[in-house]
Amino acid sequence: MKKRPLLKKLLLSLLIPCAVLLVLEAIALGKGVRLFANADSWKLFFRAVANVTLTTFALSINLDSGRFDFSLGAVSMLSATVAGTLAQQWGIGPWPTLAIAVAVAALLGLIHGGVYVLTRIPPIIVSLGMALFYEGCAFAFTGGKGVSLVTRTDIIGFSTIGNYILVTAVAVALIVLLFDFTRFGANYRALVSGQKIAVETGIHEVGNALGCYAVSGALMGVVGFISLANTGSQQMALNFGSIGIMFTAFLPMFIGGWIGRYINKRVGIMLGAVSMALISLAFARFDTASSVQSIVSALLLVLFLIYLNNEFAILSKFRGKKEAES
Amino acid sequence: MGKQTIRERIPAFASILGLLVLIAAYYIVGAIRDANVAYGLKAVVNQSVVVALVATGAVFIYTLGSFDISLGAATGVSALLGAMAYNATGSLAVMFLVCVGVAVAIGFINSSLASVFNLPIFVTTVAMMSVLSAFMLILIGWNGAGDTIKVKARDVRPLDNIPFKVAILAAYIALCWFVFTLLPTGREAKFIGGNPVCARLSGINEKKLAVIASLISAVGIGLGAFLTIVYAPTLNKDTASSIGMDVIIAIVFGGMPVSGGPRSRILSAVVGAFSMGFLSQIMSMLNLGSGYGQMIKAAIFLLVVFIALGSQRGKLLTR
Amino acid sequence: MKNLKRFLSLALCLMLALACVPAMADGHVKIGVLVSDATSSEALAFRAYYTEYIAKAYGVEFIYSDELTDAAGEKSAIDNFIVNNCKAVISFSSFDRPSQIDQCDAAGIYYAVATGTLSDEQYNEYKDYETYVGAIGPSNQIEFQAGYDMAAYYIDQGMTKFGMFGGAVPYYNDMHIYRAAGMLAAMVEKGGEGANYKGADNAGAIIGQIYADGSIEPCTIGSLELAAYVGGYDFNDAWFGKLAQMVGTEGIQAILTVGSGVDVLGGFISGSGVKLATVDSFTPAMKEAMDNGILDYMAGKFAASIGPIFAAMLNAVNGQPIRDGEGNALALGQGYWVATSAEQFAEYSAVDSSMTDPAYTKEILDQYAAAGVSYDDFAEFVSKYSFDEIVALKK
Repeated sequence: MKKRPLLKKLLLSLLIPCAVLLVLEAIALGKGVRLFANADSWKLFFRAVANVTLTTFALSINLDSGRFDFSLGAVSMLSATVAGTLAQQWGIGPWPTLAIAVAVAALLGLIHGGVYVLTRIPPIIVSLGMALFYEGCAFAFTGGKGVSLVTRTDIIGFSTIGNYILVTAVAVALIVLLFDFTRFGANYRALVSGQKIAVETGIHEVGNALGCYAVSGALMGVVGFISLANTGSQQMALNFGSIGIMFTAFLPMFIGGWIGRYINKRVGIMLGAVSMALISLAFARFDTASSVQSIVSALLLVLFLIYLNNEFAILSKFRGKKEAES
Repeated sequence: MGKQTIRERIPAFASILGLLVLIAAYYIVGAIRDANVAYGLKAVVNQSVVVALVATGAVFIYTLGSFDISLGAATGVSALLGAMAYNATGSLAVMFLVCVGVAVAIGFINSSLASVFNLPIFVTTVAMMSVLSAFMLILIGWNGAGDTIKVKARDVRPLDNIPFKVAILAAYIALCWFVFTLLPTGREAKFIGGNPVCARLSGINEKKLAVIASLISAVGIGLGAFLTIVYAPTLNKDTASSIGMDVIIAIVFGGMPVSGGPRSRILSAVVGAFSMGFLSQIMSMLNLGSGYGQMIKAAIFLLVVFIALGSQRGKLLTR
Repeated sequence: MKNLKRFLSLALCLMLALACVPAMADGHVKIGVLVSDATSSEALAFRAYYTEYIAKAYGVEFIYSDELTDAAGEKSAIDNFIVNNCKAVISFSSFDRPSQIDQCDAAGIYYAVATGTLSDEQYNEYKDYETYVGAIGPSNQIEFQAGYDMAAYYIDQGMTKFGMFGGAVPYYNDMHIYRAAGMLAAMVEKGGEGANYKGADNAGAIIGQIYADGSIEPCTIGSLELAAYVGGYDFNDAWFGKLAQMVGTEGIQAILTVGSGVDVLGGFISGSGVKLATVDSFTPAMKEAMDNGILDYMAGKFAASIGPIFAAMLNAVNGQPIRDGEGNALALGQGYWVATSAEQFAEYSAVDSSMTDPAYTKEILDQYAAAGVSYDDFAEFVSKYSFDEIVALKK
C-alpha cells in the first residue's frame, strides 16, 4: 500500500475546512462583512463545532452499523429537561447539571438499545417509537412547560468559548480512545465490517450495541445541555418535532469519512464539523434567510456526495485532461 | 418459486390481525365512551386515505431496500402548485394533472440524481426534503395571499366524499398490485431488495428499477396531493409535512420489513395506514394529555410492530 | 403458536387498558378544543384554566386536539370531536376558520373562536349561522396596537436604537405581522418628520411592505434606528448566532419581540443591559425573568381571558345563545394586560395563575352563562378586561 507522508496527510485533512474558510472569507470580503467580527462570532463558531461534532458522533456511531436513529433530538431534549429541572430544584451548578444530563441521556440511550435488542425490531423503527416516547416523556415530566433557567447566570455562564473547546476536545479524545484503542472499539469495528463473521467469531453483539446506544445517548446529553445553557430554556416538541437535529449531521459525517482517509476518522468528523460551523457562522453573519440556508445546505450535501460517489471517474477525467495537455 | 410456508405468511396475517385487534379496541372504547363509532369509520377513511396512497407507492421504493424521507414535502409542493394551477385556470383537471406532474418531476429528479450520480437514495431525499420545504415557503410568498394558498372549498366539495376517495385508492392499489405482482418489475425489485449483489449479477438494471419505483411512487404522491386539496383546500407551509413519517410507520405497521426484499407487499401500506387511523381514533377517544397520550401511542406502535414482525427475527441483530 | 400467544397478550393488554377508560357520565357535556400550539406558556396557561378550573367548576369535559399544523389537521380533529359526541368546539387554531365553521355547522355542533376574531368578510358570511357562537379575542387591530404600544413605551423614554424579533413573520403569520407592523408604525410616527419604513409611512403601507416578502429590514426610521432584526423559529446554530448578534449590536437599547422573547432571547439578554419586551403570558418563568431584570415589558393574555367565550358557548349549548338585535353572533375584541415592572407583574400573576380564584371565577361567569343575558350586557362584560376592572368585578 502506498504510504503518504505525514505532512501531505495533514494538508489533505485540512483541505476542506481551509477551502470553506477561504471561500467564505472571499464572500464576506465581497459583502463588506467580517466573518469573525467579535467575541459573539467566535462563540457561535465554537458552539456550532461542539454541537455538530457531538451530534455527528452520536449519529455515526450507530449509522455505521446500519442502525438509523431518529431519536437523537428527543434524547437531547429529555435529558436537558430532566437535568434542567433538577438544576432548578436543587440549585446545582453547571458541571453537575452537565453530568446529570450525560447520565440521563446515557440511560435513555441504553433503554433505547435495550428495546432494540430485546424486540429485534429494525433499528429505524425502534428509533421512531423511542423518539415519540421520549418526546411524550419530556412533555409529561414538565407538564409541557419545558425548563426555563434564564435567571440562572451560573448555568448560562457555561456558554464560553473555553468550555466549548474543552467539551469538544474531551469528547473527541474519549471517542477516539473508546473506538480506536479498546477492545470494545475493536469489536465495534469488526461488527461494522462483517456482522455475521464477527458474531460467529464470538463477539458479543448485543453488549456492543447497547454500549453504542449508551455512548450515543451520552453525547446527545452534552448537546442538550449546551443548548439549555445557551438559551437558558428548553422548549418541548411533540409528534417528531425533535428529529430535525439529526439532519445537520449528514454532511459533516460524509466529510469526516473523506478526511478519515488521511487521519483518524473521528478527528475527520470534527474537521467536518468545523466546516459546517464556518457555514453556520457565515449564514448568521450574512443574515441569510432560513429558506436559502436550507437550499444551500442541501446543495452542498448533494454536491459533496456526487463528488464522493464519483470520485474515481472525476479524478480520472481530470488526470486524463492534464496528461493530454502535457 | 415454491409456495410460501405458513411461517412465511405470518407477517401478512399478523398485521391484519393487528388491524382487527385495533378495530375491536376501537369499538370497545367507543362503546365505553359513548362515541359515534359509525362517523368514526368515515373519519378513519378520510384521515388514512392520503397516507395509504403515498405509502402504497412508497412500497416500491422500500422494496428496493431504499428509503425516501421527502415524501411529505413532495406531497406538499405538489399540492401547493396544484392549488396555484387551479386558481389560475379554474380547472380541476388541470389541478389534478399539475399535482401528479409535479410529483412525477420531483420523483424523476430524486431518482435521476441517485441513479446518474450513484447517490444513496436516502441521503438524496434528505437533501430534497430541505429544498422542497424551503420551496413551499417560497411558493407561499410568491402567491402573495398571506400564509396560505387557498382553493375555494365549494369548488372541491363535490369530490370530498368517501366513494370518490376509495375509488382513487382502489384504482391505484390495483395498478400497483398489477405492476408489483404480475409484471417482472415487482419481482426484480424484490430481488434487488433481498440480495442486490445477486440481482446485479443476474443482469437486473438497478438504476432503471430505481427510476421506475420513484415514478410509480410519485403517482401516489400526486394523487395524495390532489386528495389533500380536496379534503382541506387551505394549504400552508406545513401541509402534508407529517406524511413522510406516517408512511414509514404505516409500512411497518402493515408488516413489511423496512429492508425491503421478497417479503414486501403492496397491501402492507393500506393495512398499516388504516391501523394508524384506528389507533389515532382510539387515542382521541381516550382523551389523554398530550405527553401521556404520545407515550402510550409510541408503546402501542412498538408493541404492534413487535408482533407484526414476529417471524422476521433472526440470530443477528436486525439492521 | 408463539404468535398466537403474542396476540393474546396484546389483546389482554388492550383489554386491561380499556378497563381503565372512564365511562361517560350522563349529561356530561364534551367540548372539543382545537389547538395549533400545545407547548407555549400561553397555550399551557389557557389549557390549565379550562381543564383544571372550568372543567371541575362546570362538570364539562374538554377534549384537546393534537398540536395542529395545517387545515387538514383541523378537519381531522373536528371529525374526532364529532366521533366523541362533543356538543361544541372552541378553536385556538386559525389555518382555515371558514372550513371549521362549515364543518361544525354541518355536524350541528356549536363553534366559537377563542383568543382571535374573524375577518369582517368572514364574519359577514357566518354571523347568522345558528351554530356559530362568535369570537372573542384580540383582533388584528388590537395586535397592531399591542406592538405599537410596546415600541412607543421605549421611544417615549428617549430610546432610539432597537432590535426586533419577528417570530413567525417569515411564515406570513397575521398576528405576528400586525404586532411587528405596530412597532414599526410607532417608530415612523415618533421618528420625526419624513420618517418612514422602506418608503411606507402609514399602517396599511407598512403591513403591505411586510406581507410583500415576509421579512423586515433593519433601517433608519427618521431619528430612530431599527438596528437588527431576526425572524423565524429555526432553532439552529446560525439562528442562535443571529439572536446573539442582535443582543450584541453596539448601542442597542431595547429588543422588541412579537412573542417568545424570554424563551429565545433570555439567555443572551442576561447581563447585557439591553431591555427586552415581549408578548407572552403571566407564568412563573416570566415572573422570574421580570424579577431579575431580564424581561422589562410584557403584554400578556391572561389565562382566564378565555372564560367569557366558554360562558357564551355554554349558553348556546343550553339553548340560550347570545345574539345581537339582528340575530348575529358575538364579535368582541379583548386586549392585553401590560406589565412594566416586577411589582405590577407579581400583582397580575397572582390573580392569573390561581386555579382556585382565577381572574374569571365561576361566580363571575355564572352571571353571564345564564338565560336572558343580552348581547350588550355580555359585550360590556368582555370589554372590561383590564386588570383593575376585573379586580373590581371580583369584589
